[in-house]
Amino acid sequence: MTLRFDRRQFLLGSSALVAAGAAGVMPAWAQAANLRLTFWGGQARADRTYGVTDLYEAANPGTTIEGEFLAWNDYWPKLATQTAGGNAPDVIQMDYRYIVEYAKRNAIAPLDEFVGGALKLDGFDQDQLEGGKVDGKLYGISLGANSVAALVNTAAFEEAGVEVPTNAWTYDDLMTLGEAFNSANIRGGMKVIADGSYSEPMLDNWLRQRGKALYTADGKLGFDEADAVEWYTLWNKLRDAGVCVTAENQAIDTGAVETTMLVMGKAAIMPSNSNQLVGYQAIMQDKLGMIGYPRIAAGVGGGHYRKPSMFFSVAGASANKEGAAAFLSYFVNDPEAAKLLGVERGIPCIAATRDVVAPTLDEQNQLALNFVANLGDLLGPLPPPPPASAGEIDASLIRTLGQEVGFGAKTPEQAGPELISGANAILSRS
Amino acid sequence: MTVHSTIATPIEQAQRPSVWSRIWQNDAPGYLFLLPWFIGFFGLTIGPMITSFYLSFTNFDLLQAPQWVGASNYVRMFTADPKFSASMRVTLFFVIFSVPLKLAFALAVAMLLNRGIKGLPMYRALFYLPSLLGASVAIAILWRQIFAGDGLVNKLLALFGIIGPSWISNPNYSLWTLIILSIWQFGSPMIIFLAGLRQIPQDMYEAASLDGASKWRQFVKITLPLLTPVVFFNAIIQTIEAFKSFTPAFIISGGTGNPINSTLFYTLYLYQEAFGFFRMGYASALAWVLLALVGLFTAFSFLTSKYWVHYDD
Repeated sequence: MTLRFDRRQFLLGSSALVAAGAAGVMPAWAQAANLRLTFWGGQARADRTYGVTDLYEAANPGTTIEGEFLAWNDYWPKLATQTAGGNAPDVIQMDYRYIVEYAKRNAIAPLDEFVGGALKLDGFDQDQLEGGKVDGKLYGISLGANSVAALVNTAAFEEAGVEVPTNAWTYDDLMTLGEAFNSANIRGGMKVIADGSYSEPMLDNWLRQRGKALYTADGKLGFDEADAVEWYTLWNKLRDAGVCVTAENQAIDTGAVETTMLVMGKAAIMPSNSNQLVGYQAIMQDKLGMIGYPRIAAGVGGGHYRKPSMFFSVAGASANKEGAAAFLSYFVNDPEAAKLLGVERGIPCIAATRDVVAPTLDEQNQLALNFVANLGDLLGPLPPPPPASAGEIDASLIRTLGQEVGFGAKTPEQAGPELISGANAILSRS
Repeated sequence: MTVHSTIATPIEQAQRPSVWSRIWQNDAPGYLFLLPWFIGFFGLTIGPMITSFYLSFTNFDLLQAPQWVGASNYVRMFTADPKFSASMRVTLFFVIFSVPLKLAFALAVAMLLNRGIKGLPMYRALFYLPSLLGASVAIAILWRQIFAGDGLVNKLLALFGIIGPSWISNPNYSLWTLIILSIWQFGSPMIIFLAGLRQIPQDMYEAASLDGASKWRQFVKITLPLLTPVVFFNAIIQTIEAFKSFTPAFIISGGTGNPINSTLFYTLYLYQEAFGFFRMGYASALAWVLLALVGLFTAFSFLTSKYWVHYDD
């Protein structure tokens, strides 16, 4: 039986264990086989995950896995609080953004000693394995790969009589597409694309194509004022030409899915991630497709990368690291588990698992899998994990300055240097 | 005293109890009933407050033990933090506009209701309703819908051929939508005004009308002066509420304080620092500055009150 937020059962269980322990008759497995698992996500992810924990418990009698899931925004404060209190769950879903911070503070444990033993990683994609390493030690097992991707409302394109672009498209094509869209004037002036000027992944993608990066391996800024000014100027041009949505419309997007330009029907293309196609399609009537982010010029690639969409890590304070590692091993290797999980967390990182999963997928999931598997020359190397304050730079600078330029409160020449100096100040603070 | 009590028989003790035993016998049940509140007050209010005061001098980030950094959190706030001053401006703007407008509106409605209309209890309850709903998430979401680009307000304006902006996502208007939301919750000051108006003796108005004073003159010379204690009370309560305002801005801006930080309330910035960037030390310092600020405002109000508040004893 899986224990899920059932307080009474949990209390009963734990007090029984305490009593057994006090009497000195605690069976060896009682301490060893109870695992706590925490992850962020929605109900769909929870159903799939609990399906796997049920399978695991059935295959390993005596083992219980107590799961808990939260929304992204609530997840990190709670995990930090639990870690501070010394009662973090054994298995922790971890993000690329936080893994360095947690690893450096020993809040999560290195798993190298279990590899080959409890933790079988044969055939695991090397780049995904590398993504879970901090200072050469393995702290996270990637649960799937994804990539940034532009989601396309294909129905809107059909209505406008414009052909859906392919992975070969460029920012210049975007201009032409926008003009075609505007002359077709569908759905009360739908624009061809959302305003990406303050989308951190889109800026990152554009910089990578120019041979730069948001952050360097030693946690410094990887671009300069001239890059930033050019970026803002590019988007001003797109905005003035009516290719992207107005600043006022873009500001409606507060991050919740239902406030995005794609769902609101204000734009036909929106920068997003490959694993989010399914989520968006679930709440939209129009059929969605997926292409890469635009290229800075024809034939220039290297902006995309296969990112570990999320990891499972084991808490540094876990009393049962080996048991946790065994569960991780099952989670990424077992064919039945793989079928339940699908590509909801990203494309599986083991080729054999991918082969098991592929035939079970519906059309949309196939699309996401094929997109990530066939990035071709769009694919570049995996960047180093971002510095700890990257989230703050995104929220306090990239977003705010982008809006200020969009509303005309600042020129690109003002905002560019402010982005650089502000980001350097935040980086040097932490 | 002590000698007496040590040799006192139980009967004497009952006749001449010490101070402590008298308190115990008379007040014990009272303290017993207060106990749950005391536990809450010391455990959930005073304790955390002392902790937060200590943390405000540290760099606590939840993951590592707090380290003492002296007053540097406070120094940083006033010398090197543009978001601190931005959020302070937004909050002060909100307080300065929302409180007087809300009070004026509440007084106007209270005076309308005070004319002895039929069904007063019903109207009173109806107008009070928004105050009860005010800080809730549902209302903030409703507000988002009403003031969105294709929301109710713009649909109404469209009837007159006006194309309105998207009020909530335009930095020029977004804060005003929150001020209007606050004014709409005029119910609780209105109820208090209504009670205050009832206290004013009717014969004063009769005498004034006999002397030929206009309605406006009666309002300025009789109603307002006699109502000043109630105005004072409402102003203090509403100012504190306005400083503390958090939920509407959090929901309407999705926790970002955008567009362009135009709805970045001080409390919202505090929340971001604490739970967005895990700077518990800095956030604690922000909280104490807010407490000091509200305290200053309240003290200032009390000090000036003797010049304009008339207590009719």
